Amino acid sequence: MTEFLATPAAWPRILLERADAADPSDLDAAVAAGAFDGLHKAVRDLGPTATIATIAASGLRGRGGAGFPTGEKWRACASQPSTRRFVVVNGYAADPASRTDVTLMERSPYAVIEGALIAALAVGADDVVIAVRADARAAVETLEAAAAAATAAGFAGDDVLGSGRSIEIAVRTVQGAYMLGEETVLLRALEGKRGQPEQRPPYPAVAGLFGEPTVVNNVATLAAVPWIVRNGPEAFAAVGSDDAPGTALVHVRGPQGEGIAEVPLGTPLRQIVDLVGGAGTGHSLKAVIVGGPSGGLLPADALDTAFGYASLRAAGAHVGSGSVIVADERACVVDLARLLTRFCSTEACGKTIPCRIGTRRLLEVGDRMAEGRSRPTDPGLLDDLSHDIVASALCDHERLATLPMTSGMRYFRSELEDHILRSTCPAGVCRPIAAPSGAAR
Amino acid sequence: MSSIPGLGIAKGMALTLRRFFSPKATIRYPEVPADVATKFRGRLQLLYDEHGTLKCETCFQCAQACPIECIDMGGFDTRGRYHVHWGAAETYGERREESALRRSGRTVPEATYRSFDPIDLAAVDAILDAHEHDPARMLAILEDVQEAYGHLPVAALKRVAHGTGAWYAMVYGTASYYRHLRFERPDDAAQAAAVAAHRPAEADYLAGLTASLGGGGLGR
Ligand SMILES: Cc1cc2nc3c(=O)[nH]c(=O)nc-3n(C[C@H](O)[C@H](O)[C@H](O)COP(=O)(O)O)c2cc1C
Ligand code: SF4
Ligand code: FES
Repeated sequence: MTEFLATPAAWPRILLERADAADPSDLDAAVAAGAFDGLHKAVRDLGPTATIATIAASGLRGRGGAGFPTGEKWRACASQPSTRRFVVVNGYAADPASRTDVTLMERSPYAVIEGALIAALAVGADDVVIAVRADARAAVETLEAAAAAATAAGFAGDDVLGSGRSIEIAVRTVQGAYMLGEETVLLRALEGKRGQPEQRPPYPAVAGLFGEPTVVNNVATLAAVPWIVRNGPEAFAAVGSDDAPGTALVHVRGPQGEGIAEVPLGTPLRQIVDLVGGAGTGHSLKAVIVGGPSGGLLPADALDTAFGYASLRAAGAHVGSGSVIVADERACVVDLARLLTRFCSTEACGKTIPCRIGTRRLLEVGDRMAEGRSRPTDPGLLDDLSHDIVASALCDHERLATLPMTSGMRYFRSELEDHILRSTCPAGVCRPIAAPSGAAR
Repeated sequence: MSSIPGLGIAKGMALTLRRFFSPKATIRYPEVPADVATKFRGRLQLLYDEHGTLKCETCFQCAQACPIECIDMGGFDTRGRYHVHWGAAETYGERREESALRRSGRTVPEATYRSFDPIDLAAVDAILDAHEHDPARMLAILEDVQEAYGHLPVAALKRVAHGTGAWYAMVYGTASYYRHLRFERPDDAAQAAAVAAHRPAEADYLAGLTASLGGGGLGR
C-alpha cells in the first residue's frame, strides 16, 4: 500500500479526515467520527436547492482534472426536466502512476458514498453508480461492504433518513482502457458500448447515462462534499486558493521516495516536491512531470508555480491525476516527453483524426528526436501539429496529449535542440545517439 | 466508321482540351454542399497512409452509423443480408491485427472473421436469460460469455446480437475495444506467446518512468 506523506500541521485534512481509521469499512466507527452528519444536515436542514447553493458557494471544483465547478454541474443536472437521473462516481483512476483515488476509496469509503448520496439528493437522482477499476480489488471490496452497510443502516435504499427519497447504490467494475477515465467514455462503458468519447455539449449533466441527466464526479470531489455541508461553505472557501478552494490529493514520486498527500490547492510545487525530499542530496532537480501521462514537464525555475487549475495550465501542465514526478539531472527530457506521448498515443481511442493520427505524428517527432533522425522542420511541425490537435480535438485527451512535447519545447529548448540539430543527448540517455564525451550516466 | 479520318480522335482531343482549360472546382465541402445526383451512392473505399497501413482503425463508427447495416469490417455477412465490405477481408485482417496488437498484444485470429465453428449455445442462452437480454448489460454479458467459453466465439457474439437486439457491429465494437475481452482460444499457443511478449501501454509507461528517472527510479 502506498504511504501517506507527512504534511505540515497547518494543512487541513478534509479528504483524508478519517483515513487513519483502523477499519475503514466499519460503519459505527465512521459514524462516531462524523460520517453521514452531512447527509443528515442535507436532508433535515438544507433540502436540494440549498444543498446545491452550499456546494456552489464553497467554490468546489472537480478533482477529476478539469476543475469544473461542481455546484454548477449539479444545478445543470437538477434543472434538466427528466423522470430519471443518475449520479456516476468516477473511481476509474486512469493514471497508472497515481494511486490517489484508489487510496481514497480504500481508506475513506464512507466519505465517497456520503458525498454521492448528498449529490443524488440534491439533483434528484435515484441511482448512484460507483465505477471502480476492476484491478483495484481492495477498493471494490471496501466500497461494496460500505455500500451494503450504509444501505442496511438506512443512509441509502428506501426512504433515505426519512426524506421519502430512495437511492440505490451500485458498485460497478470497469476495465480495459485508459480512456475509461474520461466521463463520456465511462458512461458508454456503463451502457455496455465501445469506449469512445462523445461530442460535448450536450454534457452528461444534460444527457448522460442512457441519455438521462447525469452528474459525473470524481471520487475526491464527492469526498469533499460531506465536509462542506457539515462545516459550511465559508470554512471550505477559506482553504486553498481563491479560484480553487479546498485540498487535492497528490501522488508524489521522486528518487528519494513516493507517497500520497493532501495538499491545499495553490500550494507551490516546491513544497509538494519537498514532501519526498526533492531530488535528494548529490543530485539536482531537472524537471517535474505534473498531471500524469499527459502532464507537462516543468523546469526547476517553475517550482514556484502554484498547484492549481489555472496556474498549472498557464505553465503548460495540468492538475490531472494529481501525479507529481520528480526527475533529476540523469533523466533526459526528450526521452520523458516521448515516453508520455507514446502512452497517450497508444491509448488514444481512434475515434477522430487528431486522436488517431495527430497523436501518432507527435510521437514520430519524439521518436526522431530520441533516435537522432530529426528533420530541421520538426520544431515547426511540432508547433503546427499541437496547435491543430488542440483546435480540432474531440475530447480532452488529445488536447492534453500535446503537453509533454510542447512543455518540453517551451522550457528545455536547448536540450531539445541538442537532439534536433546536433543529434546528441546531453544526459546520455537517448540511444543510438552517442553521448557527448564526459556525460555521466 | 466516321467519314472523315481522325474525326473521332479530334473530337476526343477537343473534349480533353475543353476540360483541361475549364476552371477546376474545389468545393469547400461540407460548408458548401456537393452537387451530386440524388441516387448517387458513392463507392466506399479505404485509404492507406504513407506507411502503407490502412487508415481504418476498425472502430466500427461507420458500421454503427449505417442505417441499413450494410457496412461490415471483414468479409462476412452478419445478418444474412447483402453487405458492402470496405475492401477485401485480408486487408481488414491486417488492420484488425494491428489495432488489436496495439491494445493487447494479441492478434485477432483470422478464424474469427471466417465462418464460425458451430458451438453449443446453451451457455450463451443461459447468460442472456440471466441478464434479461438487456443490451445495456453488454459488457457483463460478454464477460460472462468469455468466462463460460474461455474466449468470445463468433457464434456466441452473433447469438448475443440476436438475443439482445443489438447490432452485430455494436457487439463486435464493444468486444474488440476492451483489453480483457479476447477472441482467441486460450489453448492457442502462438497467441499466448504473443500476449506474453507484448508490453501493454501501462507497463511500458511505468517501466519507462522507472528507467528514465535514473538510479533512484520511482523510489521502489
Ligand atoms: C483521458 C482522460 C482521463 C481521465 N481520467 C479520469 C479519471 O481517472 N478519474 C476521474 O475522476 N476523472 C478523469 N477524467 C476527467 C473526467 O472526464 C471528468 O472530467 C471527471 O470525472 C468529472 O468529475 P469532476 O467534475 O468531479 O472532476 C479524465 C479525463 C480525460 C480526458
Ligand atoms: S471502422 Fe469505419 S469509421 Fe472506423 S476507422 Fe474504419 S472506416 Fe473509419
Ligand atoms: S482519445 Fe480519441 S477522441 Fe479523444
